[in-house]
Amino acid sequence: MFKFFSSTNIYLIIPKLIKFINSIFFLILLIGLTFALVLSPPDYLQGDSVRIMYVHVPSAWIGLACFSIITVLSVLNFIFKIKNFYFINKSIAPIGLLFTCLAIVTGSLWGQPTWGTWWAWDARLTSMLALMLFYILYILTFKLLNKEELIIKVSSFIAIIGSINLPIIKYSVEWWTTLHQPASIKITGSSSIHSEMMLPLMVMLLVFLLYGALIFLMKYKTEIIRIKKKNINRN
Amino acid sequence: MISNFIIMDGYGLYVWLSFGVALFSCMVVYFKTKKTLKKYEQEFLTELQTLTLEEKTKVLKTSKVAQQILATSSKVN
Repeated sequence: MFKFFSSTNIYLIIPKLIKFINSIFFLILLIGLTFALVLSPPDYLQGDSVRIMYVHVPSAWIGLACFSIITVLSVLNFIFKIKNFYFINKSIAPIGLLFTCLAIVTGSLWGQPTWGTWWAWDARLTSMLALMLFYILYILTFKLLNKEELIIKVSSFIAIIGSINLPIIKYSVEWWTTLHQPASIKITGSSSIHSEMMLPLMVMLLVFLLYGALIFLMKYKTEIIRIKKKNINRN
Repeated sequence: MISNFIIMDGYGLYVWLSFGVALFSCMVVYFKTKKTLKKYEQEFLTELQTLTLEEKTKVLKTSKVAQQILATSSKVN
């Protein structure tokens, strides 16, 4: 099974996947933006500022998901020594950083009209900022260190330590009194968000996921070419 | 009606700025990633050109990735 997921096999599928994403991306983006900016109703309390949710929430989810994937793959790489996981992590990290930064910036833009402040050192906001710093540290290991073995060790260590922050982010709104509202969407249990807002949110999540996948494929392709180039030099 | 849509009951600045920042940063990352990919593809091809015919044939025979990069560049050129 691992042979099927070899870098060469994945490389050969990448152009087809990029082509597929490109063919549907703009249509889904258009649908998502129409729902988010025009068709979805304003909130009874927050008014039209609730539309920021359609950028903020998917960004935060993807930021968290990327770091979770990085942690799992780092642990697996540590155990099974599958180098491909290292390249996947290297390609995912900038996407996670981008979406975490977007979640923080759009959260700040949502906070000003809703709470009357751009920033507060409350548990959710601070833990998201910590996640951003972990991403920066993680990416810096690739930029600053030279030996691949050392990079794998240091980056895995950062990922594992950083993963402690993930449940803190998730439960911060329940464990502490925060300005940030509690989760409206729950995987287990009923969600308190209306379907007219849920649909645009899901479409925008799909848009962001497709965009993330596109960037990941291009970055992963770059990594494979970089390795193959190195191998030519060795021959 | 259009001005209502833009102003959004006074929240327009925050909403448009949020979507604008997201769109802009996503575009910057997309073009930067694409540029880096092209740069590496070009460097790979340049590296391939420096090899002797025998070495080049060997690389192309053993590496499917090299075959595809060469095929893509031939299509583009």
